[in-house]
Amino acid sequence: MGFLLPNFLGFLLFTAGPVIFTFGAAFTNWDLQKLEPFRFTGLENFITLFGESQFWLYLVNTLYFLLGMPMAIMGSLFAAVLLNQKLKGIVVYRTLLYLPSVTSGVAVMIMWKALYNPDFGPVNAIMESVVHALGFAHFKGPAWLQSTQNVLSLGIEHVGIDPKQWGLGAREAIIFMGIWAAVGGGNMLLYLAALGNVPKELTEAAELDGAKPWKVFWSVTWPQLAPTTFFIIVMSFIGGLQGGFEQARVMTNGGPGGTTTTLSYYIYNKAFTEYQMGYASAVSLVLFAIILGVTAMNWKFGNQEVSY
Amino acid sequence: MAAENTRTVVIGKAVTHVVLVVVALLSLAPFVWMVLASFKPLAEVENLNPWPTRWNPQNYLDVFRTVPFAKYYFNSLFIAGWVTFLTVLTSSMSAFAFARLKWPGREHVFRMYLATMMIPGVVTMIPNYNLMVTLHMLDSYQGLIIPGAFSAFGTFMLRQFMMSIHPAMDEAAELDGAKPWRIFWDIIMPMAKPGTITLGIFTFMGSYGSFFWPLILTKSTYLRTLPIGMLFFDSINGRQTNLIMAGSVMNIVPLIILFIVSQKFLVQGIQLGAVKG
Amino acid sequence: MKTFFGGFLALLVMLTLLAWRMIPPPEGGTRITLTWVTDENPVRKQQVALFNKLNPDLYLVIDPGNNDQSKVIVQSLAGVGPDIFDSWGPASLEAFVRSGIAWDVTDQLKSKGVNIPKIIWPVGLQSCVFQDRVYGAPCNVNGDAIWFNKDMFDEANIPYPKSGWTWDQFIQTAQKFTVKDPSGRVTRFGVYMDWNAWEPVVRNFGGSLYSAQGTRCTLDTPMAIEGLTLMHDLMYKYNVTPNPVQESALATVGGWGSGGITYLGGRRVAMAPGGRWWLNLLRTQQKESIARGEKPLRLGVVEFPKARVQTSGGGARCALINKNSPRREAALRFLEYLAGDDYNNLLNDVADAIAPVQRLCYTDHFLKNPAYPAEDYNEIWRSAADHSTPGGYTPFARGTDLAAITQQTDLVKSNLKSPALAAKVATEEVNRRIQIKIKRTPVLAELYQAALAKESQNASKLGAAR
Repeated sequence: MGFLLPNFLGFLLFTAGPVIFTFGAAFTNWDLQKLEPFRFTGLENFITLFGESQFWLYLVNTLYFLLGMPMAIMGSLFAAVLLNQKLKGIVVYRTLLYLPSVTSGVAVMIMWKALYNPDFGPVNAIMESVVHALGFAHFKGPAWLQSTQNVLSLGIEHVGIDPKQWGLGAREAIIFMGIWAAVGGGNMLLYLAALGNVPKELTEAAELDGAKPWKVFWSVTWPQLAPTTFFIIVMSFIGGLQGGFEQARVMTNGGPGGTTTTLSYYIYNKAFTEYQMGYASAVSLVLFAIILGVTAMNWKFGNQEVSY
Repeated sequence: MAAENTRTVVIGKAVTHVVLVVVALLSLAPFVWMVLASFKPLAEVENLNPWPTRWNPQNYLDVFRTVPFAKYYFNSLFIAGWVTFLTVLTSSMSAFAFARLKWPGREHVFRMYLATMMIPGVVTMIPNYNLMVTLHMLDSYQGLIIPGAFSAFGTFMLRQFMMSIHPAMDEAAELDGAKPWRIFWDIIMPMAKPGTITLGIFTFMGSYGSFFWPLILTKSTYLRTLPIGMLFFDSINGRQTNLIMAGSVMNIVPLIILFIVSQKFLVQGIQLGAVKG
Repeated sequence: MKTFFGGFLALLVMLTLLAWRMIPPPEGGTRITLTWVTDENPVRKQQVALFNKLNPDLYLVIDPGNNDQSKVIVQSLAGVGPDIFDSWGPASLEAFVRSGIAWDVTDQLKSKGVNIPKIIWPVGLQSCVFQDRVYGAPCNVNGDAIWFNKDMFDEANIPYPKSGWTWDQFIQTAQKFTVKDPSGRVTRFGVYMDWNAWEPVVRNFGGSLYSAQGTRCTLDTPMAIEGLTLMHDLMYKYNVTPNPVQESALATVGGWGSGGITYLGGRRVAMAPGGRWWLNLLRTQQKESIARGEKPLRLGVVEFPKARVQTSGGGARCALINKNSPRREAALRFLEYLAGDDYNNLLNDVADAIAPVQRLCYTDHFLKNPAYPAEDYNEIWRSAADHSTPGGYTPFARGTDLAAITQQTDLVKSNLKSPALAAKVATEEVNRRIQIKIKRTPVLAELYQAALAKESQNASKLGAAR
């Protein structure tokens, strides 16, 4: 029991305690500007919240940003498999691939803002020259961070489809940046460590049987990676659903037209620019419930996956 | 047959190299951009031509001249060092308790750990801040280090790792009469090394780059860390992007060194784990 | 493994000893140290140095690292706040007052013979006077005017604009400077109109964001929509100011500083609305040009065009005192300093906007500073400060109005919605939020009823006068 104690005490004090506190606060009118006496308000915060169109829009934004997740995870796995070979200069490759996740947040975001510049940015310059070469002379690159368009044609002010909104916009810009930063990051390291733990006898045995490398990977390595994949997926959902805060703060201020405001940025604004701590706690609880639901689903499917 | 095989291997290796070079270039390009920008005079910094027309290494000196950058450096490394040490220690101990020891209510407590990972951090911050006030840890190194020293994430991660270690070895040791403390240090920890090192890197990076907590917790200049010190360059006098870039370059150098150093351990750890597992 | 952990621990312990030794002794020695949370810039340092010279028993330090409204509130509530902090407008003042950290200094200042509401520019009061109680003193006051590049006007042989001009004249002038390259891309704009200036423009057209007492949003009135439409048309009809997409392109082509100052300094635009505090940077740039042997930028200033009301954006930064500070009596002397001659004259000289004390802007020294003979426009700044009126504000939406309005105006800014429709939607949404807030909050409902009564009383008075 002594093993658990240090962590458990810290956990109670700095995590569980505040979480319980938040649970309580969500049902109050707690406000840092004490205009009215503190009181319990029951479900009032939640009723207001579900009645606000903003909340639903920001929820959709939050889910939209998850679209980059599969690509980022597959990229990490691909990179880890490449890097797990005995090659000359593998240390150099590992370091280089890891760089995007190391470079400091604000600096990288300023840089991406320049890259996405609609008129002078290299992203559009490359895109336009490629499309022009294909014969579409009048093609104009997207306005990226200034555009509300998105590939799913989601409307701006109401949850729904608006065909005029079809295209590439701020949301895609942030997703692509996220993939770039995530591929070589922590997930790749986790995969690398897991690949190292795959018993060599198993893969060697399969190779001796004459199986093609792809077949070996699919039937031997991939099942061995299942616990790691499961872990990465669970964590990516948890992180992804809480995400979008820094990007919104540094790159877009949540715009244009609120299209890059995620729930966590909304919570931050409610708590620290409007000082409505009770309301912000309520939004957090809802976000928590969503994350909990998604994780429970992951757990259900993931466990089948892991057990074979 | 054998010749064909070697040829396939050679071609395979060449293709891998080509793919890796492309991916590495994509990863590297922005870093090069940042280093080049850090040598530009302010007027040129947002030009898309990445090459400075006028080299201005003065920027690096200016960073040290305008803010006590060396002290910020020290603080960031110092705080991240402690947080990493404590997190890895407490997390591996609790992970061991969850993965190997049997005690009533284990699964329930573990679920609780998992559940709290899903609470958005932005809201637990206010109660945590009030707690720091009560504990008189505001504006102190303790306040920056201690709340970061216990990680539900780390516990979860290391538990997963320890679960994947084959139980045969520690079961044998247990039969020989080894105490849990010995099993932990001499059997599980060496085998979980890749996991602990990975967690160490994550924790170090997270703490080193953390922005919001030190921002609200510190008041005194001598406690400031690098990300907060950089705020100075974004003052009302205009965003001094070239100095931000110079500061950022110096900011990430320790992380690159850490990665290069620990990645040796990582490879070693992976191999050790593989041989013994 | 154990050795590694042990070694790491030993290293950390050594570093800890080092860190402990490096904790500095308190600044200021035997003097009482006052902490002022504000922004850090060269002129601020001069202002602090003067205070410390005039008050040998006090030692004022600035703390730019904590200059954030939520941080000040949370720290002050926790009992570790600064002694003095800044308020930027009615919303931030109310936040400080409501959260109980701003000290009501009405009586204290009165007993020292300082009458803030009487000596300060009216626009400066919005950041320090709340419900007729005084909570601080302005550090500077600003009314926006339009900067223009004299060289560009001379080269194009266009006469300098004169105060009293109309928006039509403004647009015509701006059109003359807007240049397109053969591909149709605008390479130079007539004016850089900061989108955030839409609210003062609405007031310039006779509209307002809120009714007089803030009981309802009035952005959907015809005059207000006219102002919003002008802001939209400057970008999308007359093409004289960059739209968001064009602006992001503009920003990559070099320059220094940020926003309008950059574009003006880099000859990307001929005119840009801004404050006198821009001089802070412009003077530095002029000096650097001279040092490089180049001709310094020649600038002129003209008041905002007038639609129905001669007004422009403006405001004040005020210093407030932390109610819970044990040194609040000493901090009071800082407010006295802010209202005194030494500080105000210094402020005018270093061009940190203009002096809050009106009287000190009516001196020959202010109009013609011998150190800066080329600056012939201080009279304009004075009248801009005089004409500048406080922005619209409602206490009844409790801060939830801003997000609703910004969401709609952002759509106008990006040309996704007509100004009229956006104004209508924003108004409805804000009024809905106000109603929710007052229904939920009995205290607020009382204040709201009182405000409503005051509004209708004033309206009937107006009716009777007609």
